[in-house]
Amino acid sequence: MPKQLLQGNQAIAMAAESAGLKFFAGYPITPASEIIHEMVNKRHIRVLQMEDEIASINAIIGASLAGLKTMTATSGPGFSLMQESIGMAHMMEVPIVIVNVQRVGPSTGMPTLPAQGDVIQCIHGSHGDYFPIVFYPNSVAELYQYTIMAFNAAEESLSPVILLSDGYISHLYETITPSGDFEIKVRSRSPLGSGNRHFTGLSHEDSLPKTSDVDNYRRLITRLQEKQQSVAQRYNYYEYLECSKDTDTLLISYGGLSRAAYYFKNDFSLYRPIRMFPVVEEIRSIASRYKRILVMEMNTGQYAHEIERILHRNIENIPILGGRIDLTEMKQKIKQKMNE
Amino acid sequence: MNKNTHFKRYLKLDVLPTPWCPGCGNGIVLKTICQSFDELDLPKNGTVVVSGIGCAGRSAGFFDLDSVHTAHGRALPVAEGIKYANDALTVVVVSGDGDLLGIGGNHLLHAIRRKTDITVICYANEIYAMTGGQVSPITPHNTKTLTTPDGNPDYPTDIQSLFGYHNCFFARTTAYHLGHMKKCITEALKFKGFSFVEVRTMCIVNYGRRLGYKNSNEMLLNFKDVYKMNDNAEELAPDEIGIIRVNTDGHR
Ligand SMILES: Cc1ncc(C[n+]2csc(CCOP(=O)(O)OP(=O)(O)O)c2C)c(N)n1
Ligand SMILES: [Mg+2]
Repeated sequence: MPKQLLQGNQAIAMAAESAGLKFFAGYPITPASEIIHEMVNKRHIRVLQMEDEIASINAIIGASLAGLKTMTATSGPGFSLMQESIGMAHMMEVPIVIVNVQRVGPSTGMPTLPAQGDVIQCIHGSHGDYFPIVFYPNSVAELYQYTIMAFNAAEESLSPVILLSDGYISHLYETITPSGDFEIKVRSRSPLGSGNRHFTGLSHEDSLPKTSDVDNYRRLITRLQEKQQSVAQRYNYYEYLECSKDTDTLLISYGGLSRAAYYFKNDFSLYRPIRMFPVVEEIRSIASRYKRILVMEMNTGQYAHEIERILHRNIENIPILGGRIDLTEMKQKIKQKMNE
Repeated sequence: MNKNTHFKRYLKLDVLPTPWCPGCGNGIVLKTICQSFDELDLPKNGTVVVSGIGCAGRSAGFFDLDSVHTAHGRALPVAEGIKYANDALTVVVVSGDGDLLGIGGNHLLHAIRRKTDITVICYANEIYAMTGGQVSPITPHNTKTLTTPDGNPDYPTDIQSLFGYHNCFFARTTAYHLGHMKKCITEALKFKGFSFVEVRTMCIVNYGRRLGYKNSNEMLLNFKDVYKMNDNAEELAPDEIGIIRVNTDGHR
């Protein structure tokens, strides 16, 4: 394909089409709406504007069970509304892709400045234990690439995969060369209307609800966890830039903010998770080379806590709040941290 | 197999019994739905049942077809997604009054507007049965429930009024009127477009018992006393059962 100047959200829509998307349901919300605007012009994709995000996610769950590749796109407020059904899709093992273009929260927040406040919601937003695969690219080219990965990972894991974005990268325009050079995974399960299976959010075994069988529940959750972990391992994506100078500090950032963090590549080593969850194992060995770990993110320390929990060591976090990405301010905050 | 047991081919007999209490009306509705399937000879491959959560919602698991037991209130958008994904499927929703009209009420308004070609069977027992007997959107005025100890201060939703001028099929029937119920469900399944059957059914354990009914048979016989058949109605009175079709041009 030729070079194209694309907006982040346009790249997501284009990639989804290449990945085999056939059904999209959504509800308008800035900064995600360009995705549905793009979709309605694609001939082979059925698009429904639903009454809300709850209806949207449930419609794509139904359409996915009926055999199609499906997707929805939203921002924080809509993502919050979807949570119950995300848990349901994990329990029923339904492959879907959910794009969350983050904006400042909580609640209506600062419409519609960029933020990264939904990171932990991706893994703990619904009740109960579930183990989602989450990608968070940082450029228009990567949005294209990881949208396709998200569809593939959904098919392989038969689970909802989350593609995180933010108002910054989704509204960014960059020139990319969309590649058709990706392997596309196809559905391994036959569509609804071809058997006597029972898909339920209840604990179950072989299509039968088992609401009081403790051992079966434990087996079910273990199986789901292992499945998610093993599929995730095929998508071990991260970026690690070792500083050419001697440094004892690793600066972690991701998504839109990590674009600004490249500025510090001559002072510190940089680490950027792309598969945000399950957390990429390599962070352990990379982190072990550094005395200090700074996590700079557009929230009050969501990923920092996660990294701290995994590494069992002290992590310093630098919150960049309120949607402003300002290099002077970032420099100041980092300097202040280093002098502490 | 003899003809009048053919409806059983739509049931997973080996997973019975159901979780329903003795005297519950849900089994009557489930059986009648299967009889309508049988009358129309619906192919088992090609028919999908979707439910929400509640006692009624548990019906889905007893059909010997592909079925989906969704979250509370979400049967309609899941069913619509299935239908829009594969128009060749017959998609049937079975769920309770609380599920379809309360938590899922917004979806119902929009499924009607979209005229999605699915059939909804509402097990209308006037109560949130599964959770112990709280007031539902169609509990009658002044009725005592766990959450309305002084009687329901509100008036029930008139389901039929939600259909307005939209091109849809609406029927009301009861668990007592077996032939009528089967006719309503069969006609609803034949209807091209959105069809909704409100089946008045009884919950003795978490509802009728507290209203002074001695047993579920008394509740069933009450349906016989209260409801009159009206087959040519433009609109059904609260004590009437029958079928209403709205034509494409908005006329009944
Ligand atoms: C989001 C959510 N809220 C509440 C519940 C609890 N709950 C389960 S069934 C039910 C009521 C069901 O009533 P209805 O739809 O009338 O079905 P019935 O049990 O009467 O057949 C409720 C409130 C739930 N499962 N999910
Ligand atoms: Mg009820």
